[in-house]
Amino acid sequence: MENKFKKITSLWIITVLILFVVAIILGLLMRFNQGGNIKLDPVTFYTDMTIHGLTMIGIWFVAGMAAVNYIMERYVRTSYKANLIAYIMTVVGVLMLWGAGFIGKFHAGWTFLYPLPFKIMWEQWATPLFLYALLVLGVGWTIWTVSLMISLLKKYTLSQVFAWQHFKRDAKPEVETPPFVLISMISLVGVLSCLITAAALDFLLLTEYYSNGGFINDALLMKNLTYFFGHTLANEMLYLGLAVIYELFSEVSGRPKWKTSWYVAYAWNLTLFFVLFAFLHHMYMDFVQPETLQIIGQLASYLASIPSTGVTIFSILVAVYGTKINWNLANLMFFIGTAGWVSGGIGAVIDATISNNFLLHNTLWVPAHFHTYNALGNVLFSLGFFYWFSFQLKDGIIKDKHSMLKILLIVIGGIGFLAAFYFAGADSVARRYANYPEEMASGKFWATFGGTFATIYLLGIILFIGGILKRCFGFVFSRV
Amino acid sequence: MFRLCLFTSIVMLTILPAQSLFSQSLGDFREEINIYNTLYDAPLHLVGGADVSLHELAKDKPIILALVFSRCSGVCNPLVLELKENLRMLNLQQELPYSVLVLSFDPWDKIEDMQYMAERFNLTNEPDWYFGVTDSINQVINSVGFKPIWDEKKKQFDHDALLAGVSTKGKMTKKLLGLRNSKDLRMLVQSINKVFIPSYRLPTNTSIFTCFNYDPETGKIVPGTGLLIIIMPVLITWLTVIGIRMAVRKKTT
Repeated sequence: MENKFKKITSLWIITVLILFVVAIILGLLMRFNQGGNIKLDPVTFYTDMTIHGLTMIGIWFVAGMAAVNYIMERYVRTSYKANLIAYIMTVVGVLMLWGAGFIGKFHAGWTFLYPLPFKIMWEQWATPLFLYALLVLGVGWTIWTVSLMISLLKKYTLSQVFAWQHFKRDAKPEVETPPFVLISMISLVGVLSCLITAAALDFLLLTEYYSNGGFINDALLMKNLTYFFGHTLANEMLYLGLAVIYELFSEVSGRPKWKTSWYVAYAWNLTLFFVLFAFLHHMYMDFVQPETLQIIGQLASYLASIPSTGVTIFSILVAVYGTKINWNLANLMFFIGTAGWVSGGIGAVIDATISNNFLLHNTLWVPAHFHTYNALGNVLFSLGFFYWFSFQLKDGIIKDKHSMLKILLIVIGGIGFLAAFYFAGADSVARRYANYPEEMASGKFWATFGGTFATIYLLGIILFIGGILKRCFGFVFSRV
Repeated sequence: MFRLCLFTSIVMLTILPAQSLFSQSLGDFREEINIYNTLYDAPLHLVGGADVSLHELAKDKPIILALVFSRCSGVCNPLVLELKENLRMLNLQQELPYSVLVLSFDPWDKIEDMQYMAERFNLTNEPDWYFGVTDSINQVINSVGFKPIWDEKKKQFDHDALLAGVSTKGKMTKKLLGLRNSKDLRMLVQSINKVFIPSYRLPTNTSIFTCFNYDPETGKIVPGTGLLIIIMPVLITWLTVIGIRMAVRKKTT
């Protein structure tokens, strides 16, 4: 593999990990403020919340893309230029976002739900800066996504790239589609859909901003677009991580390479279709949305998640059950990450069931489930990849003296941090409160509890990433 | 593919700025004007001799405020009559208490005119109905966002039929414009009693991309142009995927 791809991937990893630590610290500040342990003024709290959420979503998306791009080079030639453009535009976009937040005090929340960006309680320039930041990020990521699609479609036909030739149970196709290629393509299609949605959303927001009241958006349309973009992207970035697992888990475990079977092909094609409708479960409390769409939202939430989860769990269990596995930090991260992803998914499906949503909507159950499949799911997928990547840069030997300590800190810290969200959510503590009123007094206890365990998680992460950063920095600055 | 994207962009860029040329009338947003604001605490002179402020009157029971004038030859009488009939039919008083204040917005109206009006509607002895006038009517109608216009020719006010819900804290929680059905009236009574009611902003001619539109003639909800914007990204994505594959194949053959 060309060194320039190793360098750009190292650069992505360094950037993601540095931003990750900063974003965790913002999260800690928020939890300790909610617990009454420190005092932030509400504007600072909501600015932190906005930046924490957007940064996390952004970095774990690009982490998945960088990993997929790096591994894709095994199958097809990808564009280094597109990768570099995406990197530059991501850095510029993040700086603009942070400028809008930290300097301009933009704090409309990480979902920037309409019409909040126009209820200006911050510097006047922060709203357009924020909207242009989204545009810069969106353009960079679209270029990258389309270029990866082009790379795949140069080699595979449409039916091959989606593994349709594998649909027949006893099929022996001439061209086999590797699971990595299938899942990557399915994720890229979803990613492109939500990036185009984001472009439409940004365009409508900017048009209203500059129309001086001449053009007003429909709030229902804006909410639909926001969640089409946000929810779908959050799901697709998980799938990017899963594509990496399908490629690397067997390899780093010393097991035979996974192949695409008929059920893998079916499951991921179902996901391709249904994930595009699952966002409708965010609209249950929008009474003007027709009931049919609410029901479609619930069904799509089940149909998008259950098949792909089922086959992934099955594949991993088959790979590890009763066989000798070369366990190391990479495949352990993949294995624990899959458990976290499934646990968070169960929490999500519970919340996506209409009758439950009446109780759980806008409680801390919501951040509970999405932090589960991110902090103990997707993050671990990417950390597993980073670990594998950084070690194979050096000498290919994966040995670590403090493996157990690192894993224990991340897992125990993560579980405690998430449990605080779940218990508080089940106790009807509302989300997005800077300070809890008397009626939600238990929220304070759980915030301190969660913050304490999140500190342990952070410690584990710092220990984990230390070596990775060292090796990646070394590679970026090497003359190789 | 490129042509399609170009065409879509041109259409969007043409349609959207054109919107700013449309009328900027507030249209159906009038029901949202001053919502949740505190109404002016005007001193009221009520039929029966009581002098009380608007907020004091609302303190014990929230108020349904009807703004009328005694010489009205238009919508005032149907408004009060329909309000009376609907409230009687709904029979909410036990479950959701309220009072009705019929207040004249005509500065020339006297308390005697309102007394006569109460008698005409046979509401003099109804305990929860108050008819009155105030010396501070301009402040009241400004705080409600109600704008009657005097027509010198007809010697009449040109005005909306308006009901406003006032909570026990003197805040206006809901407005109903026009002669409305009992379902809407129930929602108004619920809103002043702090019962959750679903609400949403009504579309106007400055907002073309609505997801769904309500057809008042059929009572049905029909899909709007906004739905196209939600579906469009998926269509564009698939056109892109197919377009890329076709372009790549063409290049290789």
